[in-house]
Amino acid sequence: MEKKEKEFQIKWKTDLPYRYSIGELAVKYFEELKKRKIMGSKCPKCEKVHMPPRRVCVNCFIEMKEDNMVELSRRGTLEGFTVVNYPFSDPNTGGMRPFPYGYLICKLDGADTYLMHFCDETDHTKFKIGQRVEAVFCDELPQEHESYRKELKGDIYDISFFRINRDEEK
Amino acid sequence: MPKNDVAVVGIGQTKFRSKRRDVNIPEMIYEAVKMALDDAQMEPKDIDAILIGNMDHFEGINLSEMWCGIDAAPGYLKPVVKIATGGTTGSSLGICGYYNIASGMYKNVLVVGWEKLNEGGATTGIITAFDPVWERPSLAGALGPLALMANIYAAKYGITPEQAAKVTVKNRSNAANNPFAHLQMPNITLDYVMSSQMISYPLRLHDCCPQSEGACAMIYANKEEAKKITDNPAWFKGVSTAHYYTFGCDDLMYDLPTATIASKKLYKKVGIKDPIKDLDVAEIYEPTSWAELSWTEALGFAEPGGGGKLLDEGITQMSGELPVNPSGGVLSTNPIGATALVRFAEAAIQIMGRGGKRQVPDAEVAMGMGFGGSLWTELCVMGKDPYPLR
Repeated sequence: MEKKEKEFQIKWKTDLPYRYSIGELAVKYFEELKKRKIMGSKCPKCEKVHMPPRRVCVNCFIEMKEDNMVELSRRGTLEGFTVVNYPFSDPNTGGMRPFPYGYLICKLDGADTYLMHFCDETDHTKFKIGQRVEAVFCDELPQEHESYRKELKGDIYDISFFRINRDEEK
Repeated sequence: MPKNDVAVVGIGQTKFRSKRRDVNIPEMIYEAVKMALDDAQMEPKDIDAILIGNMDHFEGINLSEMWCGIDAAPGYLKPVVKIATGGTTGSSLGICGYYNIASGMYKNVLVVGWEKLNEGGATTGIITAFDPVWERPSLAGALGPLALMANIYAAKYGITPEQAAKVTVKNRSNAANNPFAHLQMPNITLDYVMSSQMISYPLRLHDCCPQSEGACAMIYANKEEAKKITDNPAWFKGVSTAHYYTFGCDDLMYDLPTATIASKKLYKKVGIKDPIKDLDVAEIYEPTSWAELSWTEALGFAEPGGGGKLLDEGITQMSGELPVNPSGGVLSTNPIGATALVRFAEAAIQIMGRGGKRQVPDAEVAMGMGFGGSLWTELCVMGKDPYPLR
């Protein structure tokens, strides 16, 4: 017979607010995001366009400023995909992250680095590397997600997810 | 150039399991440390300095070196440094231990890696290691990005799920020969792996490493000290490390460029011309079955896209020309802060000829690998002597 494990548990719920400085270029990014513009930062020396925008170019150790920010397309090309199908608690919300969810890596037109984001597709057979994808903003969610529609606030959730853009496919 | 040669003179590891509720963290660490000290016939008073590491926030704790680096890893009145670099924690410990002896700073050092994953949430902990604004919202710990990488790799080279499943079959049946391994599956089949639950396409449950609890300890010494302890040490021939971009999406990284960079540097340093011929065994850090196929290419064991063929030809099997992961690897045992140190320890065990049923006959040159962080690689090559191959 298996010995019953003795276990001592303490459970409680609490708010754990914290402050995080996002940096000057990110401030500009989110101001522009409110206008549905996606901005990267372009190195003045090697011309690499970084997404997300950042202060220092990894190749050149050169500073990029607001003037070096460039607008990228909200459309891009799918480079990889998966459908996350396992439970875990989300440190950004404190609750469980809803699953399954589509998760992709894409390259926005005009960028030299990639972007990882949610995708509204959860059937892995519907994805194909090389497909065109497009950012969907939270104030223009399609009808099936109508109840989640909200104003743009200039935060990371302003882009709700990416969708496979079949209209653009050949 | 190193001032001193560096030898491994003592090794200890716990029997890794998914839960060690019978012990607390210091008690668990003590088991591995005691075993390493006994192995080197040393006592705490003989140890010069201690390096200890884990990923604190995976257990939801902080400053762990304060309360488990003192009595369990005997740091009382000694220099103690904690190291935490994600998946590479164990190899960062292993390499920093090497630096401490090679530089002439200490004559010996005790290196300890540990994790007790069942007491926290590794996926949640991993997410907090990434940028709160840009990366956390959609990141699903390690497996989501590893699935993306597997997916890109498979599409690029036509690698099949069956080839990936073969890695799990190889490693978990190897694990049955390792008394310390967590998942020992002597009778595992391809069908068992390929019919397991889809965790994150194309990764099925048994394409993924487990979460383990346990600790690993190693004692390093300089030449003079090593002579007093053992006539059969394992010697470091060299170490190498390469870090990469900040964000997981700065490159596609499916082919682990840091492993290519780090291994090329190391092969040059230690005189390896053809790793398949010159290495006798490799303990690599494969978080998924797909990753082992891709990592073996990055380490130069096969051409890009040739990882599947390398496995199909049996080269990385126990009976092959370059056995990869005789211990069962990370697919069988994954106590994160100890995982990469176990790779170094297993490489040393092979050189010492103490591998028992998992021993590769006449192993004289062995590689250990750590992988983690934002796609970093850390490597060591060990041998019967500290000199480059001729």
